[in-house]
Amino acid sequence: MDRQITRREFLRGVAAGSGVALLAACGGGDTPAAQDTNTPVPADGATTAPAQVGGTGSTVNITYWGSFSDVLGEAERAMVESFNTSQQDVVVEYQYQGSYEDTAQKFTAALQAQAIPDVILLSDVWWFKFYLAQAIAPLDELAAQAGVDFSDYQPVLLNEGMRDGVHYWIPFARSTPLFYYNKEIWAEVGLPERAPQTWDEFGEWAPQLVQRNGDTMTRAAYVHPGAASYIAWLFQGVIWQFGGRYSTPEFEITLNEPDSIRAAQFFSDTVNEYRWAMHSTDINREFIGGQAASMMASTGALAGIERNAPFEVGVGFLPEERAFGCPTGGAGLAIPAGASAEKQQAAMAFIAFATSTDGTITWSQSTGYMPVRVSAVNDPKMQTFFEERPNFRTAVEQLPKTRAQDAARVFIPNGDQIIGRGLERIVINREDIERVWQDVTVELEEGAAPVLEDLEALRA
Amino acid sequence: MALTDDVVIAQPQTTTASWRRRSLLWQVAGYLAMAIVVLVIGMPVYWTVVASFKESREIYTIPPTWWPEAPTLANYVRAWNAAPFGRYYINSLITTIGSTAIKVVFAVFSAYALVFLRFPRKDLVFLFLLAALMVPREITIIPNYITVGSLGWINTYQGIVIPGAAVAYGTFLLRQYFRTLPREVLEAARVDGAGHLRILWSVVLPMSQPAVVTMTLLALVDKWNDFLWPLIITNTADMRVLPIGIFWLLDQEGVINWGVVMAGTLFVMLPMLLVFLWAQRYIVEGIASGAVKG
Repeated sequence: MDRQITRREFLRGVAAGSGVALLAACGGGDTPAAQDTNTPVPADGATTAPAQVGGTGSTVNITYWGSFSDVLGEAERAMVESFNTSQQDVVVEYQYQGSYEDTAQKFTAALQAQAIPDVILLSDVWWFKFYLAQAIAPLDELAAQAGVDFSDYQPVLLNEGMRDGVHYWIPFARSTPLFYYNKEIWAEVGLPERAPQTWDEFGEWAPQLVQRNGDTMTRAAYVHPGAASYIAWLFQGVIWQFGGRYSTPEFEITLNEPDSIRAAQFFSDTVNEYRWAMHSTDINREFIGGQAASMMASTGALAGIERNAPFEVGVGFLPEERAFGCPTGGAGLAIPAGASAEKQQAAMAFIAFATSTDGTITWSQSTGYMPVRVSAVNDPKMQTFFEERPNFRTAVEQLPKTRAQDAARVFIPNGDQIIGRGLERIVINREDIERVWQDVTVELEEGAAPVLEDLEALRA
Repeated sequence: MALTDDVVIAQPQTTTASWRRRSLLWQVAGYLAMAIVVLVIGMPVYWTVVASFKESREIYTIPPTWWPEAPTLANYVRAWNAAPFGRYYINSLITTIGSTAIKVVFAVFSAYALVFLRFPRKDLVFLFLLAALMVPREITIIPNYITVGSLGWINTYQGIVIPGAAVAYGTFLLRQYFRTLPREVLEAARVDGAGHLRILWSVVLPMSQPAVVTMTLLALVDKWNDFLWPLIITNTADMRVLPIGIFWLLDQEGVINWGVVMAGTLFVMLPMLLVFLWAQRYIVEGIASGAVKG
C-alpha cells in the first residue's frame, strides 16, 4: 500500500501531540513498558526524527478497537502504524474486534468490566447507544486542544455525530449507497451509458434488461439485498425519493404516511408486479456474476466489484422519484468517557491524524470510503486518483447531496433490523403494506420509549 | 455408517421370494439414502476444497465451474500471510487441549458420582446440571466477561479456557452411558476389593470408551471452532485463535475473496478431520468390547 508521511502531516502530528507530551511530563503516571529510545523506522523511511517536545521522552500508550478485516483491516492497521512512526508521544495499539456488532457487544461488556479501549470505531447504528449511556466523551474541547478544524469536515458527515451542539462521533469510514450498472448489458440492449435519472426511466429500461427462460428469470434488471439491515439502509434513500421518511427527528414513526406506503409499494412491485427485480443474500455476487444488471450498493464495495467483475462497471447517483434521496452510512471514531484526560488527549491526537487531509486521502484511496475532509477532495493527489477511478469521483460528487438517516433506523435499538424485516415481509412474502408498517411502527415505538426516556434524563 | 447398520438390521429372517425382493428393495433404498447423505454432507466440503484453488473471479462466475480452470495455490499463500496463522495454531492447540482435558476430567468424575455414589438429593443435583445445559451461551457472555475481567484474566489462556471448562453436556452424556453398564461387573470388582478410583479407571472407563471418546471429540470440535468467546476475551493478535483468523479474511463491507476464505477454512478444518479419522476406530472398538455379555 502507498503510505507516505509528508512533512506537513508529520508536523501536524507533533502539534497535536505536544499537549499530550506536556501533560505526560507533569503527570508521568503512565510509564509504558513499550517505551523505546529507538524510534521505530518506517519501511519507506519517509519520517525524520521528531523533535522532542516535552524532553522527558515519556509516551502515552493507548489502545484502538477497530472492526475491519481483510483489505480494510490492513489499511486500518497501516493507519495506526503510520501514526506511531509519525511522532514519539503516543503509541497506539491496534486491536481487531470482529464486526461492528461484535465490537459494540464487546464494548458493552468492557464498560461493565471497566476494561475499555481509548479509541473505538462505532458504526452508524451503534454510537448513539453509547452516547445515551454516557459512555463516550464529548470531543469539542479535546479537538480544540489538538487543533482539529471541524469546519473542514464534510458537514453532512460531521453533523451526524453531533447532539445538542456537541460532537461525539467523528466521521472516518463513511459510505453512501450508489447505483451500480453493468455496462456490457447496458450496451447489449442499447441503453445510454449512464445510470437512470428517475425510477420511471428505469421502469422503462428494466423490461429490456430482463432475460427469461420460460417462466424463470435468468437475468434480473435489478437485485435487492436479503440482509435486513442492508435493505433498510438502501430503502432509506428510496423512501425519501418518494417523499416519505421512517420517522421525524423526534422519533415519531411516519411509515404509514401515504408517500412512505407508496415507496414500499414500489419496492414490492419491482419484484412481484413488474417482475424485473430479484432478491439475493449476496447482491455483489449476483451483480458480478451477471445475474442482475444493476443494483444499489455501498460505495465501500466499489473497489472489490471493479476488481472482480469481468465487465466494465458503471455507477451513478441514485435514481430520483419526486426528489433525490441518499443516506450516509458506515462508521466513525469515538473516545470512551472513562479514560484519563491524558489518554483522551492521546486518543484525539490519533483521530486528528487519521482524519487529517493526508490521512483521509490515504484511507480513501486504499479503502474506497468517502473522503471526510473537504480539503482532501480538492487535493491534487485526490484529483489524480479521480482521473484513474472516475467511478469513485461519482461517489464523492454524490456526497454533498446525501443526508443523515432517520432516527428510527439509527437511534432506536435494532431499528435497522425491525424495518428490514418489515420490508422482507412486504417484498418477499407480499404481505399487505399497511398492516406490516403498522406492526413495524408498534415495534419501533416500543424500542423508542426507553431511548426517549434516556434523552429526557440527559437533558434534565 | 449408521445407515449401513440399519440396512443389515433390516434384513429379514424369512426367505420367501417376496421377502427377498422386499429386502433387495430395502437395500437399494438404504444405499440411495446413504448416497444422498454423502452428497449433502460432501458437497460443501468439496466446494470448499475446490474454491480454495480457484481465482476470485472464477468463483463469482455463473454457471459455476466444477473444477478450477487454472488451479492456483495463491489463495493459501495469501491466507497464511494475511494473519499470523502459525501463532493461531499454537493458541488453538493450547486452549483446545486444555479445555478438553478439563472438561473430560470433570465430566468423568461428576458422571461417576451421579451414577455410582449414594448421596441424598442426587436427582436435584442432576436437575441443576440439566438446567445449566439449557442456558444459551450468548447470555453468559457478559457476566463471564465481567468475572474474568475482575480476575485479571482478559487476554490470557485461562480467560479463554476456564469459563467454558465445566460444561454440563459431558456429564449428562457420560451419566446416561454409565447407567447402561452391567451392575454385576461393578459389584464383582467391588467384591474383589477395588475402591472407587480403581473401579473408575479399570472397569468403568474401558467399558465406556465409545462414550468417552465421543464426548472428547465433541469437546474438541466445540472449542476448536469457538469464535465469539475467544474474540471477546482476547485483545491482541498473539492471543487469538484460528476461527478469528478466518473472520479476518472475510471482508465485511466489500466483496469477499472466497478463495482465500476457503483456504483459511481448510487450515481450520484439516486437523479436526484427521483427529476424527484417527479416533473413529476407538469408537467402533469400544462398541465391540462392550459386548462382553454376549
